[in-house]
Amino acid sequence: MCLRKLRDVLSADGFGTIVPRDSTMLFSLIAAAPWQIRSDSWLVIGMLGGTMTLLLTLLVISKVPLSYNVLNLTSRWVTTVMTALAFTLVVSLLTVMLAFVNGMYALTEQSGQPGNVIIMAEGSTDETFSNLGVTDIGDIENQSGVARNDQREPCVSRETYIIVNQPIEKAQPGKPKRRFLSVRGVDDPAMSASVHGMILTNGSRWFSEAGVQQLAEDATGQAAIEVVLGGGIAKQLGSDRTSAERAKARNSDRLDLEDTFELNYRTWKVVGIMESLGSTFDSEVWAKRSLVGPMFGKNTYSTLVLRSDPNFRRERRKEVMLARNERADKTLEKALVNFEKKRSEDMARQAADTKKKPSLPSRPVREKVEQPTTDAGWGAEILKEYFNTEYEKSKVNAIVETKYFEGLSSTNLQFLIAIEFIAVVLAIGGVFGVMNTMFAAVSQRGRDIGVLRLLGFKRWQILVSFLLESMAIAIVGSLIGCALGYLWDGVTASSIVSSGQGGGGKAVVLKLVVDLSTLAMGMCLGVAMGLLGGLIPSLSAMRLTALEALR
Amino acid sequence: MKYFLLVFETMRQNWLRTLLTSLGTMMMVFVVTLVFSILTFLDRATSEKSQNLKAIVSERWQIPSQMPIAYADALSEGAPQKEGDHRIESKDSMTWSFYGGTTEKDLRLATRSSFLFAFALLPSSLLTMMDELDSLEGPLKAEFEVVVGKLADNRRGIIVGKDRLAALEKSVGDTITLYGLNYKEINLEVDIVGLFPPGRYDNSAAINRDYLRAALDAYPQSHSGKSHPLASKSLNLVWLRMKDKQIFEQVSNQILSSSSFSSPAVKVETASSGISTFLEAYRDLIWGMRWLLAPAILVTLSLVISNAISIGVRERRMEFAVLKVLGFRPWQILLLVISEALAIGVFSGVFSAGLTYYMVNVYFGGLKFPIAFFGEFRIPWEALWWGAAIGGGTAFAGSFLPAWSARTVKVSDVFAKIA
Repeated sequence: MCLRKLRDVLSADGFGTIVPRDSTMLFSLIAAAPWQIRSDSWLVIGMLGGTMTLLLTLLVISKVPLSYNVLNLTSRWVTTVMTALAFTLVVSLLTVMLAFVNGMYALTEQSGQPGNVIIMAEGSTDETFSNLGVTDIGDIENQSGVARNDQREPCVSRETYIIVNQPIEKAQPGKPKRRFLSVRGVDDPAMSASVHGMILTNGSRWFSEAGVQQLAEDATGQAAIEVVLGGGIAKQLGSDRTSAERAKARNSDRLDLEDTFELNYRTWKVVGIMESLGSTFDSEVWAKRSLVGPMFGKNTYSTLVLRSDPNFRRERRKEVMLARNERADKTLEKALVNFEKKRSEDMARQAADTKKKPSLPSRPVREKVEQPTTDAGWGAEILKEYFNTEYEKSKVNAIVETKYFEGLSSTNLQFLIAIEFIAVVLAIGGVFGVMNTMFAAVSQRGRDIGVLRLLGFKRWQILVSFLLESMAIAIVGSLIGCALGYLWDGVTASSIVSSGQGGGGKAVVLKLVVDLSTLAMGMCLGVAMGLLGGLIPSLSAMRLTALEALR
Repeated sequence: MKYFLLVFETMRQNWLRTLLTSLGTMMMVFVVTLVFSILTFLDRATSEKSQNLKAIVSERWQIPSQMPIAYADALSEGAPQKEGDHRIESKDSMTWSFYGGTTEKDLRLATRSSFLFAFALLPSSLLTMMDELDSLEGPLKAEFEVVVGKLADNRRGIIVGKDRLAALEKSVGDTITLYGLNYKEINLEVDIVGLFPPGRYDNSAAINRDYLRAALDAYPQSHSGKSHPLASKSLNLVWLRMKDKQIFEQVSNQILSSSSFSSPAVKVETASSGISTFLEAYRDLIWGMRWLLAPAILVTLSLVISNAISIGVRERRMEFAVLKVLGFRPWQILLLVISEALAIGVFSGVFSAGLTYYMVNVYFGGLKFPIAFFGEFRIPWEALWWGAAIGGGTAFAGSFLPAWSARTVKVSDVFAKIA
């Protein structure tokens, strides 16, 4: 998983093209480091294991009795507690911040089905901006690579994705009066749900064929639009209600079945809630496409999501991989030519003006062509290739759904870089704090050090003794910090996932994920702070001679 | 004066502790300054103005807003319908059409570095209406006026931000062909006439709106008389500048009551309100920065300072006892300890904030943290007093208890122990 992230950063941007890297590459590489990944991240856990091994080794080789260290820590308990508290705050902050990014990654990774292919209009990289020709739809979904269900219907979700600027009628003073609401119009909700792997909660149903129902209490005579809500957006819409309304509601936390809300001068009635699966669909409102598309000015389909036939062109798997490898080679070749040209221009510029700083372009690397490991993955890859290279009736952009959602993690990377930067700066600040404590400990215990030296303890044993003390404070503080951070696991937060420039984005409701690797990262940072902060004071203690110490 | 000398002498004697506390403070103030800079910028961008405010007219429901180009002229004037209605002057309005293109002919091979996002607008509005560009002064303004003049003279011209130009690997004077992404098959050959001033528009571009309109008008000739699908939806936003809130309300009513803007319906909102809507998606992130990150750092900083001062107080009990014998009052000892902490905190805070200001604004040219459509933040001048306030405030909070303990040192106890 970690290596996959690293490769994603090193390779191109979802188009299979490699571009020369600039100075941001260093940050990208840092950001690709293991702490962004979750429980299957053995590298992070390995780092923690290494740290713990170091600690155990120190414990084993330490000849100075541990009770001496414990006594010192407890006798200066105020200083010990305050230093540990600083660790707690820094580590809990890091844990919460990483949990946020983890939640964003989880969201983008869990939104795609491995066998699905998204068809968008040519040139579109985001469904918000895609407009597919209505006449092409029937032909696309009847291609042989598209899987069929038991009734021999093509497994296709026809969708129109709209971002609606929703007024918040009862907005609290000082709070925004509008929000962006993701509305997905679908033709056949049951089929769309089966393609996306979405399920309804108990008691829910999909909207009817007409997509509307008459409400007895509605005096205007206009039928209410039936909608199915994702769990996250149900909670957000539920928070628009006044406290009195919430007190009366059957579910005060979120909008529930039979509840209604107003949008575009119409009443929208909730007939279903989708089970929260940690995907971007949790943040969406699903309704009948033929109603919501024209209502918000989008008459075309934005996407078709096709479930690929896993056995589609099995015999051509090797050929497809070969073609993709060739394409990657050609792209690299082109990128290298550009790189050499830029470099020689750079050198010429520098020769003409020695004051000019070289721009130092990075050498492009070849895109790693990943081979699918499952039949579903193969089916999607081959169907994508088919639509992008052979399908001639209309020009479309086919993307494997999992790749599409992975591409929406550009924001995640930006946040991750910012978090890492903050964590490092805070950690450096914390290290100075620990050094203060440990230097004070060394100066207060000069005589102790002298006596220990006279008793025959070696210099390195004194070093280890002091190091163990600072690491003990760090470990206790970090453990409490991790525990505090863990309290945030599962807390929901709103954010945006996007693919950066030219991409668009989605407002999403995500769950913070505090997992093993997050906690391991918090512990690693804490222990590293303790180690670095304790090292210099311990070295100064080690250098004292018995005579100096006793003087 | 002697009192201050005493403070500095103590700091000098414990130079290592002073240095470490100071460095710790600087690191924390650095992070808080960055966080406060972002929050302050966003607060300013979303706070409602009562004078000289900008309004945005856009499609009522859908994002991205797509209005018919026929709306442009009337909306730019504020849709006056009868005598007495307020009419917006042309220098106080701006229309935007968004054109997204790539330099890659085969759209499927387009990379992020080949993308270009351009505002299609009337060139003169860049100087009168565009945020931050409308307030340029001095040589920057004169330089940019020349560039805008070139765009006005050359309908095929394009102004590009420095980062985007570098990504495209092009230079001013080059001609490029942009292959339309949102405007499918609307490909524009453009001449790069100049650069945006460094800052907010480093990754953007601006083209002459007449050029885009001409390309849309020419589309039917090559498509058997069929108009481009976006020909009737090519107006994305209209910006209006108004003198005050009252005029805003009046113009807003003029537009909303006009039957000319009903299909699609439009909405009028202040720029700050529009930005607030965009930032709503980042609500929890901003909340976290404001109420979690910044306070936690301040508390951590207080702890670091408190720890250092407590250690100092413990080591100097004898000194305090002697001072008391020499006639120092308890409150003077309290003040002495607090002053030491304040001196370290304020000095480190101001130094750190000043260094942050220089490094971010001058050396790096801005803090790159993309949030909504703001890609870059700058450290404001106020950061200098933030530094002093953060350093001083946390030093005071962290040193008060240790200082109180120094104040209560009992001379008899200290000397009894020594005896």
